[in-house]
Amino acid sequence: MNFEFGRVALVVLFALLPIVGIALGFFVPALRARGPLVVGFFAGIIPILSLYIPKRFLSGETGMRPRLDQWLIIVYGFALLLGIVNVIQNGTRKISRRESGWPYSIVLLTGLIVTGALGIWGAVSGQGITTLPDGSGTPFKWIADHFFLPLQATIFALLAFFMASAAFRAFRARNTEATILLVAGILVMAGRVPLLEFLAAPFPPLQPAAAGASQALGKLTEWIMQTPNGAAQSGIIIGAALGAASMAIRVILGIEKGYLGLGGGE
Amino acid sequence: MAPFVDRLLNLDRRWLFLLVFAGVAVPIIMPMGLPVTTTASTRSAFEYIEALKPGDCVLISYDYGPSSAPENDPMAEGIMRQCFMKRIRVVICALYALGGLQLANNSLAKVSAEFPNLKYGVDYVNLGFKDGPAAVMKRMGDDIVGAFPTDVRGTPLAQIPMMKGVRSLRQVSVVVTVATGLIGEYWITQAHPQSGVPIIVGPTAVGAPKYYAYLNAGQLVGMLSGMKGAAEYEKLLAGRYPELGRFYKTTHAFTATKGMDAQTVIHFIIILFILIGNAAYMSQRAARRKAAAR
Repeated sequence: MNFEFGRVALVVLFALLPIVGIALGFFVPALRARGPLVVGFFAGIIPILSLYIPKRFLSGETGMRPRLDQWLIIVYGFALLLGIVNVIQNGTRKISRRESGWPYSIVLLTGLIVTGALGIWGAVSGQGITTLPDGSGTPFKWIADHFFLPLQATIFALLAFFMASAAFRAFRARNTEATILLVAGILVMAGRVPLLEFLAAPFPPLQPAAAGASQALGKLTEWIMQTPNGAAQSGIIIGAALGAASMAIRVILGIEKGYLGLGGGE
Repeated sequence: MAPFVDRLLNLDRRWLFLLVFAGVAVPIIMPMGLPVTTTASTRSAFEYIEALKPGDCVLISYDYGPSSAPENDPMAEGIMRQCFMKRIRVVICALYALGGLQLANNSLAKVSAEFPNLKYGVDYVNLGFKDGPAAVMKRMGDDIVGAFPTDVRGTPLAQIPMMKGVRSLRQVSVVVTVATGLIGEYWITQAHPQSGVPIIVGPTAVGAPKYYAYLNAGQLVGMLSGMKGAAEYEKLLAGRYPELGRFYKTTHAFTATKGMDAQTVIHFIIILFILIGNAAYMSQRAARRKAAAR
């Protein structure tokens, strides 16, 4: 009975109500924003209520909240689709207008179409997206292993070169704050690797002392990470969480309408 | 002095790049075997898994991409090896869109080949990738089948023997999220409060600072922080399991312990760059002040 109530409520709130809202919007333009706001209100309030009201129709295994979670996964899938459409639109526009860097868009779109087609073909044919029934890899896997993985790793690897260059040119002790940051940075960088052992390697008599000093430096680094850094991170996380909660309340109550494309709220 | 300082500050950056390249490449080609000391957060992650019994279930979530694979792969593989040594069942999933599943597949293929006596579907299973990490893990908190109806091979989870006793995250002993971005945080803020499942996180070194807040708050049972965390884990594994010790000593594959040599050299080079850059900057500033005073 409870289960049925939850199911019916979901159908009413997230299927019938939007349809009625759209229909009303055709006749009364002023009501166009109301439907999405009501849907947004219930989509936000049901998961919150389910945490406080232990009723099966809300938080049971087949209740409203788990079903909304399931729908959210589906909505994420649509967001991915939206992203693909956006990439295709931007890419084709760039190519047709011969904007700067348009040949790269050809590479991008070719990669998207070829990889996507191979992946979809693997799924639709039932042979598997990455692995064939005999255990060998599919062309999709070949592309991923030989193009995508090395390319992404290469792009990130370039960061090491730029970081080193930036360390030489930009990381300066210009004032007290920058000096504190610089000293902490050097201590953490030195303490997270066996730097002293590395430096003492050519001098065997110094190695025991280097090992002892390295351990002390390691402990200092852990203290920096756990105490000043941990405290600052806690503050940032709590602040961000409070901000997110207040934004969520604004969205649920319909004060914030930016996500509807209706302006920034009251 | 001043012309030398000016020349130093305007040094062609390609010289710096060459030094960085040599600093990374040489230790990888010729490992130095520098010592690795362990930290409390890694030891606590290791001991937590060590305390599990054969037949318990560990979920390893591949929440990273190829960009951080040298840091994250050794973590995931080390933990997988430990679980396989102890006959702990392993569930694998990937929630990172940009290559998480490919890395999970490659990693599983590599480690499972080292344990030919273990069987897919009985000792380990690969659930594959699903988009929308926060929503997926919330669903897994109630019902894993709801989030992953089939495994990566398309087999319904109901037909996979080892999943019979694992309906939701409540039946999972610990979630190990090897993470590069926000997904590790989602496991702590979404999955842990809902199902109470303990979390071990393996972030990149760049992402590690924020997790100290969760570690201090007791919301994590352990953390492997960057390549150092992975190298520490390899050391702990080698110390506890002699066969893994032999493996890590003799393997030609990349390991975090080998990576630490390169990281040590590169940290040394960067520290040197910072010190030289600052010395030159201060000398230039002093010269300018002197000139202004005249």
